[in-house]
Amino acid sequence: MNDAIIVNQVSKKFKVHHDKSSTLKEKILFQNRNSHEDRWVLNNINLNIKKGECIGLIGENGSGKSTLLKLMTRIIYPSSGSIEIGGKVSSLLELGAGFHPDMSGLENIYTNASIFGLSRKEIDERIQEIIAFSELEDFIDNPVRTYSSGMYMRLAFSVAINVEADILLVDEILAVGDANFQKKCFEKMKKLKRNKNTIVIVSHDLASLQKICDKVIWIQDGEIKKIGEARKICDEYMLFMGQKEGKKNLSNDIETNRDKEISGESKDENISNNNRWGNKKVEITEVKILDANNFKKNSFETGEKIILEMFYKVNENINNPIIGVQIFTSELINCFGTHTQIDNIDVELKKTGKIRFIIEESRLINGRYFVDVAITDEYGVPCDYHSKLYEIVMYSNLNDIGIYRPKHIWEVK
Amino acid sequence: MQMVESLKEIWDYREMLKSLVRQNLRTRYKGSVLGFLWNFVNPLLQLAVYTIVFSTVLRINIENFYIFLFVGLVPWIFFLGSVQGGTTSIVNSGNLVKKIYFPRAILPIAVVISSLVNMFFSFIVVFIILIVSGIGISISVLIYLPLVILAELLMAIGIALIVSCLNVYLRDLEHILEIVLMGWFYFTPIIYAVEMIPIKYLKIFCLNPMFAVITSFKDILYYKSVPYILPLLITILIGGLLIIFGLTLFNILQKNFAEEL
Repeated sequence: MNDAIIVNQVSKKFKVHHDKSSTLKEKILFQNRNSHEDRWVLNNINLNIKKGECIGLIGENGSGKSTLLKLMTRIIYPSSGSIEIGGKVSSLLELGAGFHPDMSGLENIYTNASIFGLSRKEIDERIQEIIAFSELEDFIDNPVRTYSSGMYMRLAFSVAINVEADILLVDEILAVGDANFQKKCFEKMKKLKRNKNTIVIVSHDLASLQKICDKVIWIQDGEIKKIGEARKICDEYMLFMGQKEGKKNLSNDIETNRDKEISGESKDENISNNNRWGNKKVEITEVKILDANNFKKNSFETGEKIILEMFYKVNENINNPIIGVQIFTSELINCFGTHTQIDNIDVELKKTGKIRFIIEESRLINGRYFVDVAITDEYGVPCDYHSKLYEIVMYSNLNDIGIYRPKHIWEVK
Repeated sequence: MQMVESLKEIWDYREMLKSLVRQNLRTRYKGSVLGFLWNFVNPLLQLAVYTIVFSTVLRINIENFYIFLFVGLVPWIFFLGSVQGGTTSIVNSGNLVKKIYFPRAILPIAVVISSLVNMFFSFIVVFIILIVSGIGISISVLIYLPLVILAELLMAIGIALIVSCLNVYLRDLEHILEIVLMGWFYFTPIIYAVEMIPIKYLKIFCLNPMFAVITSFKDILYYKSVPYILPLLITILIGGLLIIFGLTLFNILQKNFAEEL
């Protein structure tokens, strides 16, 4: 047999109980009232995973990808259809299940590995490797309850991954331990892959998936939306998610505009937290992030026009006010910052008004960014400083790395 | 066919069975002062209570009553522990069941085996008492002991399989069984002798599969006589059938365990 996993017309429904009764009295008394809804999580999934393949499962939260993985491990069973598994399965769904806090690390390795179906002999063969992998040599005879959570996870992961089953099922746990340990896990997975073990991974970490997976399956609303080469599918997925977020914000905006018309009031100005400070001589009352068509949104494709629209109110006249803007990555690396003085713009403020900062071509690559806006007096004393209060999500179907993508061409001669 | 497969799978996971039994035995009395000694203290204290009540107050006229009682009580405690522990075995391991695949039947079986090992420890005390009291041990009769233990083990596994999977869907079972087991205890000749049962009811009492088990233990250890083989064989047969039925039921019901827990 060349297939490791055959998923044949599998559908899965969960019963959603409105009021679950599991005692005898309730079961008899409320026979009719025991109402539940069927919620279909997976619809008619067909899938063949060949031996030695490494498959990534992606999709939004609630799309059914984890359910599919659980079906493959046989923790739950399909409502219809069948799943055939060719080989021994090890699953890394939740780590450390079955650990006993009072038993030592070593004893727990034996117990945990036996739950994965290893014999005493097989565990003995692997024990050195498991301990070495976990880097817990000095603590291995201490009870597990004395471990830190990081140590606990490392031990659990080491056992699960060293089972070296024919089929390894992984759910979103590439984020165990520190950077070094993660790297080691990653190398181990690659090694398993080279050894022709079959791997199925559920993850939101698209970058890691692209590094290790041959194929990616995109699951949407309980159905397979696309299967294909990892990079291509991940890109399409990212683009889809970005556009979806854009649409969502658009509709939110229409909603809030309508609300405003009804109340006739602008929104509450009292933002009192660490993200805003200043002497309030001039206030920034509202900031809107708009696209080229003046629609409010906060996800943009790389290269798109972005407009920051700031509404202000002058409480006390100041000379030569300065207006500034800064953009940070989600890791708070400053990408770009400027203000009106740098750009030699003379600012004269009316009683109230708006300022538009127009980025003709946004050159930031995929990711989330924070925006600072501020108005200061001529000496730089802040009147109103909004720090990281606004967020922009950039998306792109390109896989540039770094922070920004300068306009560029290649010449090869 | 499915039966053979699930039995084979349980066999493949025998290391897990061993680990769980070891863990059960080692962590059961963890943190208590007496620790492992509770395995001996608990049955001895029960013995003390029953002996005081039935030889001082109710005055059952049996020679060496405490020994008579002990050789029946120890196997009953094994059975009781298996059924009660088996009932909650799946529900209590919900964490594991929801996260990792393994043949679920391992859980109730591990409880039964743990109880069995505890019984073996108690038997050390039984043998010491038998020798010290002067009743002694008859080696030629003792060879029947494994047969009796086998009969009880099969019964215990069969029932534990059935109640463990039912309890996932009907948590009342745990409490219903408390009453059933109390009744079962008194309708089995543990604290009284078979001769004390009125003849007209004896046939009904014999329908109880534990009847043959307990009386055989008493025959072998207390009376030092060869037990009746036929009732024992019938009990073994019943035990085997219970296991087949239990596994079949278990295989059907286990599919929704993760969702019900």
